[in-house]
Amino acid sequence: MITRQFGSEVRWMLRRPRTLIGLFGLVLVPIIISFGIWTAGDDEGGGGPGLAAIIQGNGMVVPIFTLFLSLNLLLPLVASIWAADGLAGEAQHGTLRGLLVAPVSRVRLLFVKLFGLTAMSLFAVTLMAVVGIIAGTAFLGTDGMMTLSGTTLGTGEGLLRIALFVVLVTFQMVAIGAVALAVSATTEHPLVVQAATMTTIIVFQVLSQFPSLDWLHPFLITTGFPGLIDVMRDPIPLTQIWDSTLLAGCYLLIGTGLAAMRLITKDN
Amino acid sequence: MNKRKVTLAAAAAGVITGAAGLSLLAMPAGAGQPPSLPDVSPETLVQQVLTSKPGAFGGTVEVDNKLGLPSIAEIPQLADGKHSARIWTDGNGKFRAALPNGQSEQTIVNDGKTTWSWNSADNEVTKAEHEADEPKPADEKAKSVDPAEAAKQVVGLTKEFSDISVDGTARVANRAAYELVLTPKASEKTLIREVRIAVDSELKMPLRVAVLTNGTSEPAGTVGFSEINVGPQDAKLFEFTPPANAKVTTPEAKEEKGRDRKPELGIEQALQGEDPQIFGTGWDTVVGAKIPAQAMTQVPAEAQGLVDKFTKKVSGNWGSGQVFTTKVATILIADDGRVVAGAVPEQVLFDTIGQVK
Repeated sequence: MITRQFGSEVRWMLRRPRTLIGLFGLVLVPIIISFGIWTAGDDEGGGGPGLAAIIQGNGMVVPIFTLFLSLNLLLPLVASIWAADGLAGEAQHGTLRGLLVAPVSRVRLLFVKLFGLTAMSLFAVTLMAVVGIIAGTAFLGTDGMMTLSGTTLGTGEGLLRIALFVVLVTFQMVAIGAVALAVSATTEHPLVVQAATMTTIIVFQVLSQFPSLDWLHPFLITTGFPGLIDVMRDPIPLTQIWDSTLLAGCYLLIGTGLAAMRLITKDN
Repeated sequence: MNKRKVTLAAAAAGVITGAAGLSLLAMPAGAGQPPSLPDVSPETLVQQVLTSKPGAFGGTVEVDNKLGLPSIAEIPQLADGKHSARIWTDGNGKFRAALPNGQSEQTIVNDGKTTWSWNSADNEVTKAEHEADEPKPADEKAKSVDPAEAAKQVVGLTKEFSDISVDGTARVANRAAYELVLTPKASEKTLIREVRIAVDSELKMPLRVAVLTNGTSEPAGTVGFSEINVGPQDAKLFEFTPPANAKVTTPEAKEEKGRDRKPELGIEQALQGEDPQIFGTGWDTVVGAKIPAQAMTQVPAEAQGLVDKFTKKVSGNWGSGQVFTTKVATILIADDGRVVAGAVPEQVLFDTIGQVK
């Protein structure tokens, strides 16, 4: 029963034209990045901060570089669109009423929506990673994966690192999506959900620029993003990765809880 | 209806748990209850620290810096704030250090024959083969983040000039430790109030060093392990193969290139020069040098501006110059090229600078 609902939710999401357009847009990102770096060529110096410095001739870094960049804006945007469609969109079309009066518990309805969000986030992130590996290898070539620590990992271990990063990024996305779902449960206008989510993410990133607000920084989900780059260090330091994931976990709990409270008390 | 209330309560509990989790994550890790350890005399502890052989270990070091230094783009590790580094050693001279710098990383590996220094920001490896026992700059840099080494040096240099005591215990990186306190004797004219060293109760290896200065209760600087695992480390950590498309240079070549690019290094080199002159002993030791006039004129206007911004103009019967003050050290640069520095108030430097030749 529940698996059928999960399946139909994902099918329903995939059938929306904007989902397909969104996925197509996401896939373009690693291709454009690989192409851009390839045309920039091996000019003197190279270098730069973070992954940008080691990406030349190191195609397996492209998926991680792409996801790391997209995590700041693009992936939260996509998560907020899906969360907006999930409840607010259905409310707008009047289909949510049918779901709420159906003999299905509302908590289960929320879990179906959350599952749809998770499945689609994982799908989108994996798709970007796969395209990133292909485009990176094609444009920049590869000889294992060079880490920020200067070691070179074999292809197998490199793929494992990419898989780990995919899971970590998906989790961040789901956490943002869960909070967006809570907003989505309160309104009939999907655009309000997207605007609210993106405004929050951007405001968080602005706030984290002010050293005088450092007491606030540990509460912001965006504070956890940069630490995920530790996946590219060798051996992997786990502290920051754990902290970021726990931080996102708290957002997931808060978002899901608020969404459930709102759905349960919602009038038909 | 009742079931609805239960679900509602469960959802509310989820929200509260999440919020509580957030505040828990935001709280700095508590130090925990200090362990109770058998008493030890300060003299024995000092002796044990100086003779301890830490053996193999790997760990994460946190550096908390409140020295009040200006932030210089070239050496961000010196700027105020928290920095972390990871170090591994096999106990027999081989080691690896990973020094993250934002999203980049510098890795230093000493495999017993060669010291490799990799910097991800410029995709460059510096390779220094060991010929004699001379220490390599990269080795020194890697060791400077090791609290055990730093503490040993401090204790060795200052124990005769300090009142030494054991002030309770502490838990550092989840290990029980004694707090060894070195207080400069009253006759020492220094900015430093005390140095606290947390010494592992089992290995007698320093786990944390904190420097406290006069007039503040917070340490001006702390270097300590936040995580340590003692025992043999993966041998692979002490090997390094330069990445396929990285530039490999020698320290000599790199220095050559650096000198062309940054003439302001003149001052730094003079201070590190062959014969720095040492005045005094103990905590109020002052290091002096004379910068060749040529190096002084090489300082570009831009660097001069930087110097002016952080220094104060002073003069006296010794001449005139600029004084640069941090919480733990003072540097006096005279206009004629004489430089003196030490963990002392500026008056001590004024008294000493006349002796610089």
